[in-house]
Amino acid sequence: MNGGVTTSPRAFVVRIIVALIFTVLLGRLIYIQLIDDSYGNLSDQIQYRDVVVHPPRGEIYDRNGELLAQNRLCYDVSIIRRDMSKEGFDTLRVAALLKMSPEVLVKRIKSSPYRVERRISTYPISVEEKLLLDELNVAGLYTSQRTVRQYPRKIGGNLLGSISEVPEEKIRQDESYSAGDYIGREGLELAYESVLRGEKGLIMQDKYAPLDSRNTVLKEPVSGRSIVCTIDAELQQFAEELMENKVGAVVAIEPSTGEILAMVSAPTFNPDEMIIGRERGNNYMREQNNPRRPLWNRAVRSRYPPGSTFKLVTGLIGMQEGVLRPHYQYPCHKGYHLGGEHIGCHEHRSPIDLRYAIATSCNAYFCYVFRNVLENKKFERAKDGFDVWREYVDSFGFGRKLESDFLGEGSGYVPTRQFYDKMYHKSWNALTLLSLSIGQGELGCTPLQMANLAAIVANRGYYYIPHIVREIEGQDSLDRRFYERHYTKVDPKHFDVVVDGMWRGVNVDGTCQGAYLRGWDVCGKTGTAQNPRGEDHSTFISFAPRKNPRIAIAVYVEHGGWGASMAVPIASLIEEKYLTDTICRPHLVEYVKKTKIAYPMYDRKKR
Amino acid sequence: MEYRADKISLFKGVDRVAVLLYIALVVVGLIAIFSASWVEGSENFFSFSHNYVKQAVWIVISLVAGVVMLLLDASLWHKIAYYLYGAAILLLLVTYLFGTEVNGAKAWFKFGPIQLQTMEFAKIAIALACARLMSEYNFSIHSAKDLMKVALLLFVPLGITVLQNDTGSGLVLCSFLFMLYREGLNKWLCIPIIFIAGLFILSFIFSPTALLVTLILVFTVSEGLSDGRWRACVVYLAALFMASILLYLVVNIFTESSFSYFNSLLIATILSLIVVCVYAYRARLRTLFVMVALFVASVAILPTSNAVFSKLRPHQQKRIEVFLGIEEDLNLTYNVRQSKIAIGSGGWFGKGYLEGSQIRYGLVPERHTDFIFCSVGEEFGFIGTTFVLLLIAAFILRLMRMGDNQRETFGRVYCYAVASILLFHTLINVGMTIGIVPVMGIPLPLISYGGSSLLSFTVMIFIAFSLDAQTRSELPTNRSL
Repeated sequence: MNGGVTTSPRAFVVRIIVALIFTVLLGRLIYIQLIDDSYGNLSDQIQYRDVVVHPPRGEIYDRNGELLAQNRLCYDVSIIRRDMSKEGFDTLRVAALLKMSPEVLVKRIKSSPYRVERRISTYPISVEEKLLLDELNVAGLYTSQRTVRQYPRKIGGNLLGSISEVPEEKIRQDESYSAGDYIGREGLELAYESVLRGEKGLIMQDKYAPLDSRNTVLKEPVSGRSIVCTIDAELQQFAEELMENKVGAVVAIEPSTGEILAMVSAPTFNPDEMIIGRERGNNYMREQNNPRRPLWNRAVRSRYPPGSTFKLVTGLIGMQEGVLRPHYQYPCHKGYHLGGEHIGCHEHRSPIDLRYAIATSCNAYFCYVFRNVLENKKFERAKDGFDVWREYVDSFGFGRKLESDFLGEGSGYVPTRQFYDKMYHKSWNALTLLSLSIGQGELGCTPLQMANLAAIVANRGYYYIPHIVREIEGQDSLDRRFYERHYTKVDPKHFDVVVDGMWRGVNVDGTCQGAYLRGWDVCGKTGTAQNPRGEDHSTFISFAPRKNPRIAIAVYVEHGGWGASMAVPIASLIEEKYLTDTICRPHLVEYVKKTKIAYPMYDRKKR
Repeated sequence: MEYRADKISLFKGVDRVAVLLYIALVVVGLIAIFSASWVEGSENFFSFSHNYVKQAVWIVISLVAGVVMLLLDASLWHKIAYYLYGAAILLLLVTYLFGTEVNGAKAWFKFGPIQLQTMEFAKIAIALACARLMSEYNFSIHSAKDLMKVALLLFVPLGITVLQNDTGSGLVLCSFLFMLYREGLNKWLCIPIIFIAGLFILSFIFSPTALLVTLILVFTVSEGLSDGRWRACVVYLAALFMASILLYLVVNIFTESSFSYFNSLLIATILSLIVVCVYAYRARLRTLFVMVALFVASVAILPTSNAVFSKLRPHQQKRIEVFLGIEEDLNLTYNVRQSKIAIGSGGWFGKGYLEGSQIRYGLVPERHTDFIFCSVGEEFGFIGTTFVLLLIAAFILRLMRMGDNQRETFGRVYCYAVASILLFHTLINVGMTIGIVPVMGIPLPLISYGGSSLLSFTVMIFIAFSLDAQTRSELPTNRSL
């Protein structure tokens, strides 16, 4: 050391400590890397291979315990190049079994690493094919178990979703996935991925005795947990059949729990065609390119004008705001005329009270109510009244996500004050927005929100968040939010009048007498939503029975004409099926199924 | 900023061996990160979404930062040490108040797409402030008052990290004890600190009664050793245990309450200490007083461990419990097990680069950050791990040598502080991958993936290089490297 540099015995001791620490680390490394072979030495790699054990995915049951999605055993084929014999093997037969060309097979083998196991089959092979492959006894070729989905009923394509290989970005985000794993895409499979997937296991397997019980299990696989969903498979299938050849959606909810009994997005697709395999790509592209967009889940995503079904909300808000009493009468002479505004209506007697206005779906009546709400004297300007109106609408679940457990839920659209300020350059009033009162204009609702409205009325003022899963294996309860009652801002006491009107509409003298079911006291409200693209949308929300409702339903048929013409019979048949478990009107079923609606607006795009 | 005017060449006097070691470590890190994050068949080899590309960019940024450190006048650090410390404390507080939460710890700060862990950078300032304080003219390592100042310097940031829920990275400051020892800290201070730390850990595992009995025995025996009054000790022990059992029985029989034996032993011990103190005062036994004081301090430590423990985050609690064998957590034991399998299966020469199945299958968690050592262990085997460990050891020793060569206390303390931090990180990180230290989220310096860690270590190390370069270029005879 140089002069001036102080050294101390401590400097020596400190170096001893450093040396000691590194000796401990190195000693431990010597032990686990060189001495202890329980961690699998390099030499073991010649005899053993690490097998990733993919757990079976959790199965999906309907509310009655029927299987909606089950697992089918299949096999992945992989190789370890080092273990292959020098002489080669019958590539022709192997390639035939793997359904690929021999050239591709040879290329894949050549490009795979020497020591590491590499999958060579593009798609999993069936059990029969695996047995045939085993007979060939090719050295260095290994199979490992996988499971793919199988759908006994072939229903609920959009509802259940599908599974596919995990995309590369996902692997980068989430370390627990690795290439070749399966992951839920869309629907229930995606929403409950964490429950369904289970955990991969790892086995150190003797290559020459794959079934030996002494194979070391490094990590036990954990099977995916099953889920029981709230869907009634039979009802779902029936609803899907009724919606054939139509575009639209059906959502049925059990009002007392918020459980979704059926959820159809038409047109639908066969989930069996989306199973991982050779056909998936073609089928997927076919559905993807279908101009009617079967892959788009209309039941929770589409924004539809709610049409006259929204009058219920207008009436309820009017009563809560004190500007409407059930006995108030308003005149209607083929519509509402004021200044330049004109909203037409069909012919009916005049003047009428609230109950009859709901039953016969009078446009003018609700225009009066809407104006009275917004132009209430307690507000300085109609715009303030609009803000209050919007808060009410929001409390009914419109214009926002309902926070159901279904991923990809759309929020619909309820315009805001800012929206209108921009649209009309700040000069607008209640008259400008009049079409909102009857569910037209800028309003957009998902069928789920409309079914929820039916459930709210059925419950007289509150709803449970609609959800699709009833039970999860190994879990006592669902998320808390599904057990809470969500009240609207309208007092429950006002609902009875509306229910009265809806009952009258079906059972006495209204627009939806086609929904009448003897002894079940069906209540309903039709809607005929005008739209710029073609024929009116046909829609209907309903619940039954009037006391202690068991089902609330919304049916939306795009361009189906009058509410009564298409949506009413569909909803009525679904209610009949659910409530009585039989169908007394087979001719109506025939009629509905056979009705084909022309959709030039969709099909034209094709060319 | 001041630049060194007298400098002809930028690298004049820079320890080339140390720089080479630094570069070797960074390159080893990049190689290992590539192996851990490369997904086979992925397009865009140089896409920014790949971790190895990001790390490469960080390496370039770090090197630039390192060169800047060399350009700055080394005496600058002495001047601004306290200001930096103040800024660091402020930054830690700001992070605590407005930071981003990552894994439950509010220890990160977000600048656009970049996340920085502020403690990583605060460490540099703390090391500089320590060096400045200890190089003050009238500072004495033997003065209790001065030591308190050092302790304050360390405990303020440590306290903030506890608030941030990031105790793990705060514990790094414990490694400064090593530096203090080098500076001549009284070894009689070191022993009680280590004793209390040991006691702290033991109090998790053993019941309070067992620990109290052990403590009583330890102190009585050491009293006997120091004074040779064996008879008095035996009498004392016998009397103490008789009294405690008597107390236990009497209270339980008469009051029919469930009075635990621990309480009666504690009461008996406290009462007996009064007697012992009176005895010591009369017989003028000074060591006995010291013993009593130490004993009381040790007993007082026992309940604090639980208080501290409850302050830890749940996952930290779990890690400690798992490591001490109190509780079995399949997930955590799985992580360590996977890591041990990865390293263990490497054997002598490893499975070959990019061919480690544990790493490739993604069975090792955090394989490019905290568990990066697995990648080395599995793919390069014992040869690889030994090589990396020797590189780090050589680097640490080199830093210590730089410290010893310093003329000023400032530089010496700083170099040793850096060496201590590196040593601590290496011990904890490598230790956890091979299962001899509980899992703490601490990166392997210069090797683990992570921009803020790499940049802060680089700046910290290059400040040491710059201090060293200044010393060397000022030496009258230019020594060979």
